[in-house]
Amino acid sequence: MTDLVPITALGARAPARHAFGALTIAENAGLALASLALRRDAAQPAPLGLALPGPGAWQAGQGVAAFWTGPGQWMIEAEERAAEDFAATLAAEAPGCSVTEQSDGWTAFEIASDRGGAPIRALLEKLVNIDAAAFGPGSATRTGLHHMSVFLIRRAEDRLAVIGMRSLAGALWHALGETAGRLKGERT
Amino acid sequence: MTRLTGGLIDRARSLRFTFDGRSYSGHPGDTLASALLANGVRLMGRSFKYHRPRGVFSAGSEEPNALVELRSGARKEPNTRATVAELYDGLEAASQNHVGPLGFDLLAVNDLFSSFFAAGFYYKTFMWPRAFWEKLYEPAIRRAAGLGSLSMQPDPDAYDKGFLHCDLLVIGGGAAGLSAALTAGRAGARVILADEDFRLGGRLLAESHALDDAPATEWVARAEAELAALPNVRILRRTTVFGAFDHGVYGAVERVADHLPEPGRQVRQTLWRITARRAVLAAGAIERHIPFRNNDRPGIMLAGAMRAYANRWAVSPAKRVAIFTNNDDGHRTALDLAAKGVEVAAVIDSRPDARAQGNYRLVHGMVSDARGRLGLRGVQIDSDGRKEWLDCGALGVAGGWNPNVHLASHHRGRPVWDEALQAFVPGEGGPRGLIAAGAAKGQGSTAAALRSGAEAAAEALAQLGIEARPAALPAAEDAPAGLRPLWHVPGKGRAWVDFQNDVTVKDIKLAHQENMRPVEHLKRWTTLGMATDQGKTANVTALAVMSELTGKPIPETGTTIFRPPYSGVSLSVLGGGDTGPHFRPRRLTPTHEWARTQGAVFVEVGPWMRAQYFPRPGETHWRQTVDREVLATRKGVGICDVTTLGKVDVQGADAGEFLDRIYANAMKSLRVGMVRYGLMLREDGTAWDDGTCARLAEDHYVVTTTTAQAGPVYRQMEFARQCLWPELDVQLISTTDAWAQIAVAGPNARRLLERIVDGFDLSNEAFPFMACAGLTVCGGLKARLFRISFSGELAYEIAVPARYGQALVERLMEQGADLGATPYGTEALGVMRIEKGHAAGNELNGQTTAQMLGLGRMVSSKKDGIGAVMSRREGLAAETRVLVGLQPVDPAQTVLAGMHLFAEGAPHRTETDQGWITSACHSPHVGSSIGLGFLANGGARMGETVIAANPLQGQKVALRVVSPHFVDPEGGRLRD
Repeated sequence: MTDLVPITALGARAPARHAFGALTIAENAGLALASLALRRDAAQPAPLGLALPGPGAWQAGQGVAAFWTGPGQWMIEAEERAAEDFAATLAAEAPGCSVTEQSDGWTAFEIASDRGGAPIRALLEKLVNIDAAAFGPGSATRTGLHHMSVFLIRRAEDRLAVIGMRSLAGALWHALGETAGRLKGERT
Repeated sequence: MTRLTGGLIDRARSLRFTFDGRSYSGHPGDTLASALLANGVRLMGRSFKYHRPRGVFSAGSEEPNALVELRSGARKEPNTRATVAELYDGLEAASQNHVGPLGFDLLAVNDLFSSFFAAGFYYKTFMWPRAFWEKLYEPAIRRAAGLGSLSMQPDPDAYDKGFLHCDLLVIGGGAAGLSAALTAGRAGARVILADEDFRLGGRLLAESHALDDAPATEWVARAEAELAALPNVRILRRTTVFGAFDHGVYGAVERVADHLPEPGRQVRQTLWRITARRAVLAAGAIERHIPFRNNDRPGIMLAGAMRAYANRWAVSPAKRVAIFTNNDDGHRTALDLAAKGVEVAAVIDSRPDARAQGNYRLVHGMVSDARGRLGLRGVQIDSDGRKEWLDCGALGVAGGWNPNVHLASHHRGRPVWDEALQAFVPGEGGPRGLIAAGAAKGQGSTAAALRSGAEAAAEALAQLGIEARPAALPAAEDAPAGLRPLWHVPGKGRAWVDFQNDVTVKDIKLAHQENMRPVEHLKRWTTLGMATDQGKTANVTALAVMSELTGKPIPETGTTIFRPPYSGVSLSVLGGGDTGPHFRPRRLTPTHEWARTQGAVFVEVGPWMRAQYFPRPGETHWRQTVDREVLATRKGVGICDVTTLGKVDVQGADAGEFLDRIYANAMKSLRVGMVRYGLMLREDGTAWDDGTCARLAEDHYVVTTTTAQAGPVYRQMEFARQCLWPELDVQLISTTDAWAQIAVAGPNARRLLERIVDGFDLSNEAFPFMACAGLTVCGGLKARLFRISFSGELAYEIAVPARYGQALVERLMEQGADLGATPYGTEALGVMRIEKGHAAGNELNGQTTAQMLGLGRMVSSKKDGIGAVMSRREGLAAETRVLVGLQPVDPAQTVLAGMHLFAEGAPHRTETDQGWITSACHSPHVGSSIGLGFLANGGARMGETVIAANPLQGQKVALRVVSPHFVDPEGGRLRD
């Protein structure tokens, strides 16, 4: 394998991680991503055992997950597999589909709460124009956040993922950190 | 001191504050206005035009007079209403708009010349001599204009923004708002209750009426406790809902820390965007006054405000007060103040049949004058033709109540005149889903407000399919107002209507005389209603005066409507918290960090930061650096990050057909493993964007675009895919960020790449000009190689997954050290493409065609594509300007982009304009400045001398017309 050393979206050797009171934000540099789009007359596949979800939804499988990104289009996630050619693996599982490498197109930040869903909802309220109460576990959507376009995934009651363009990693990290930090200042 | 008993203030604690440098004290619960009154201070400001002494007029955010500068240093804020400034320990305030002390304003001389400053004076004065305007009159007027001054320092505070969603937004937390919130909250709906005050209760806090035989504050406290305990209800205090926007979105500002000496770690204010399925406007009503001569003395205020000060803040503006009223409500003030031991000199009621409601003197008549410049000393009563002066230190004026229709008139809702109420109420139209309740719709008695709020909430929820029963309500007063309209007291002298902009009844008469009679003209001619209070205490009165003058009833005179914001919103909070470098997000390339450590100077290219040039120690001017980078690239090998150019992945059985229609030139015929230069046209036939298209496989292409157009081109492609040709089997996705793309250019480019590719044949035969392939580099890293050139040199672009971009560049630099490997930035990139004659954004400016670019033959006549038909239209056929190169006849002279081209000897006018210069740079290759531009019949004028002119700055230079390809015009280096 190559001896070239990769860097994270934030430009460092190791992924960033920071705690802000009840919330911890961690850069998920190992997440593999690939886009899967149905070609005409292709049957909807169940790649890697995944039941591809409908609009607004995220479906988790074994070490992989998928969220809807358009008619006949999904983004497939694979934990800790960014170093491999995940797109090739996926293409083999989805004949008759267009598959495109996306791991390096995005930066993913995983946000975890140690106090249940309330801190996640409070953060969502300050970041995006999404009805936080209606964005429960299994929800995924694309929306604007501080002049950037991001995917939001409610992975669990106490976990939220924010996926933005890789080149905007610094701006997104800043926006998330500033907002979480202000919430920490407000909390008693 | 004029403190009374009772009130909602905490007498156990004292707060120290200063006003105009003097120290005073007050209590928690005071506003700056109430604390000043409690300390006997009635003079609080100077009026805008005439600099007349003014005191506080109201007890709310509608305050026109008592505008102060709050805080000092960088946090100093002008135009704060003392009536809403919560008192805190250490508060510093200063009055505004005077030269010299507040009590002796040197600019009060304006009042003596008031005839010259009447409405519209600046349309008639300061006209002569003309030359004086710019140097003398305008600066003087500017200095005199405006209220308050800025600190001129950056705002040091933090701000935030947020988004809320609810079933019902209740705007206002008074009687109507609380009963609406209780009704909706108990029904389980998601409710947000917002009030601009720091306490809930609205006028219930200011009146002495009982609710269920107990002080109203007790009911308020119980309602508040219940609402706070409901998980589906959110209370926002100190929050002004300032506007109703599209799609049911309401803008609100929460003053999180304005009432604290320092925000500390909190944000100072938060901008909330509230998406509400329904909203109840429980915004109450604002009292109006009755203009009479000299009615602006400090100590003259609204009667409702006077009793609010007495009941809520336990303060009277004077020991001896009088009331002037045209309705029963004014008498309430007399009763409440008398009950607290204040001497009520008289109630002057303009209704001939009015009766006293307590043990005070009642006079049937009107107030016709007031004296006491720095503080009221007495008022003149006109009764049955007899005039009498009455001593008093304060006068409460009660002219009736105006429902607060501000938000209801957003979205062009027009209020309607209610003849019985003698006031405007919300009409049809206005923001959808907004229901007015209580005093805001003219149902202002306490009982009516409570009932109306509950009903409005029930109705709103019924519209949403949520069942709600109106909350049970306490027994409350329900007295009619008994108003008999008196819009102003006729007579000589000036009677103020709009206090903040210093507009009098005389000004309205003047407007009428000058035929500025429709309300929109009246407003603009007199500036009535155009100050920071939006004329909240003046508009209806002004309309009534104009109506008297024209003889038309008020509804025919016009209506006043309002635009957001309801009260001032700072730009800082609208910014939402992102300031400085974080105001806009920045996109960084995969090699940004490496470039930074190399000392690169960066330039903004849209949202991107790109390395512009890489200065070396000893280089003192950017030209030195750029010239060196260009020469080094053309001599050895240069390396440049070109990741920012858009990349779109195109797949599918019909991908080729799709691209044939997107591009002007043929693309379906492109062979696998090859790249083709592509031109895209706009629908109207104009050249739009250029780039490359690489065919990686039978059904797999990668389209590249310019940096600036990456988004628009991708959007156009998606639009074409989804809407124009949905029958085509094609799938798209952006891959701009996913691949780091590095240009490797120069005679040593192949030798350098040979050192990093894994056994890939880079010979000219195996990998010719315009070839592409997938491969691996550096021991197995997947990559893509494209042999394309922007510089005119032997060149390649190598793409690797973005996380390896930095490592790749480091490896290339290391491996290329003996080959002269040199990083270069956007400046050198630009110089080289100009030297080569390549079009870029400057040439593709939306006004040029393929023909003009010399690419006319690229627009295929054998197949259709977006813009192809329109590119052949008559209007474009007559165009003769084509792209040429330009070189100064005198090599020491400079070519400037933007200059226009003229024949030698021709005058420099639009009629003789023959073209313009699009790009220019210093060319190390040519040894002088060079340029590209469009010149009429340029192709036939090679060698001719033309004149480039910049008339704005008086520049002219003689240029020779040459081929745009300054370097290697045969293109041999590319194909080597």
